Amino acid sequence: MTSLGNWLDERVGWRQVWETIFLRKVPKINWFYALGSASLFLALNQGITGILLTIYYVPTPDHAYDSVQFITTQLPAGWLIRGLHHWGASAMVIVVVLHMIRVILYGAYKYPREVTWFTGVLLLLIVVGFGFTGYLLPWDQKAFWATTVGTLIAGTPPWIGDWVLRVIRGGQDLSAITLARFFGVHVWVLPAALSILIAVHLYLVVKIGISAIPKRERKDNEREG
Amino acid sequence: MSDENEITRRDFMGVSILVMGSVIGLGFLIPAIAYIIGPALQRKESQEWIRLGSTSKVETGVPTLFKVKIEEQTGWIVNEEELSVYVLTDNGRDYIAMTNICSHLGCRVRWIADENKFFCPCHNAIFDERGLVVSGPPPKPLFRYNVKVEEDQLFIKEG
Repeated sequence: MTSLGNWLDERVGWRQVWETIFLRKVPKINWFYALGSASLFLALNQGITGILLTIYYVPTPDHAYDSVQFITTQLPAGWLIRGLHHWGASAMVIVVVLHMIRVILYGAYKYPREVTWFTGVLLLLIVVGFGFTGYLLPWDQKAFWATTVGTLIAGTPPWIGDWVLRVIRGGQDLSAITLARFFGVHVWVLPAALSILIAVHLYLVVKIGISAIPKRERKDNEREG
Repeated sequence: MSDENEITRRDFMGVSILVMGSVIGLGFLIPAIAYIIGPALQRKESQEWIRLGSTSKVETGVPTLFKVKIEEQTGWIVNEEELSVYVLTDNGRDYIAMTNICSHLGCRVRWIADENKFFCPCHNAIFDERGLVVSGPPPKPLFRYNVKVEEDQLFIKEG
């Protein structure tokens, strides 16, 4: 095993990468620092279960609802896969927001970590976008009316509101076009954006290192030091 | 490891992460496999007798084509499918019912009356009137259904 590792290391240099990512030095931290990893884990969960759902799900008005029912009631572990995706989505929003609150309260967004913060803000918006587009896909009453309301809210800004509404819906009404484009955004556009931004976000976390927990009574410490 | 009998904190954490990661990984993998292969495990061989039509339509010694509509459920979709069955009798009492699906690669065969043979357009397979292979690539004769006759009506069954 080690010889195989050595053989591979000589050719691809994975050990240095491994050490840089997983054996890097971190300050003494607490469990709140696990919220970022928890977000990553949930993102992986959403990716795996989401890919599995697309194997059976069909994003058209005449098949969407039935295919979701088929997944939930007919397929082995279908209820589990859909359940993980459904509850994982809610957990994702909650954990990502908690992660952001931790970063705010610890002041971890400050120099030199501003760009990490910016990408984090974009990631939060993408997660919300996932939630909004994914909500329509089961094509049940709740999905239909929630998206009716949501897109109308998007249509409220003056001047451009009506245009925004029409672009999001793909026309004046909620239709097959809306369902198809929400699906396309949900499984292609947003995952691509999420992957790229997570890569940048994690690169910066590894490159800069994470911030320590801010200390109280800094002045006392400084006097002692 | 610093000492041979001592497990360091680092080793313990490493093994713990490996074990937990494997458990979570299997937790995804096993349901995923079941979910993907699920529909493949359902054999949908219909066990019901399908009524083809009257025996009076069957000419003696010539495969006669019957077409019958059946309802089939695939996934969440119920659709009507047409089954084409060739029926042959030599004496008006014993019947053979053959599928028109070629035993080679699933194309549809056609009875050519002039040649007195079944002909498959895909790879030039030829079967005789009883569905036995005359020439071409098919590995076995045309599939035969179980047949029964009740009050001059022909019924077939897959299994």
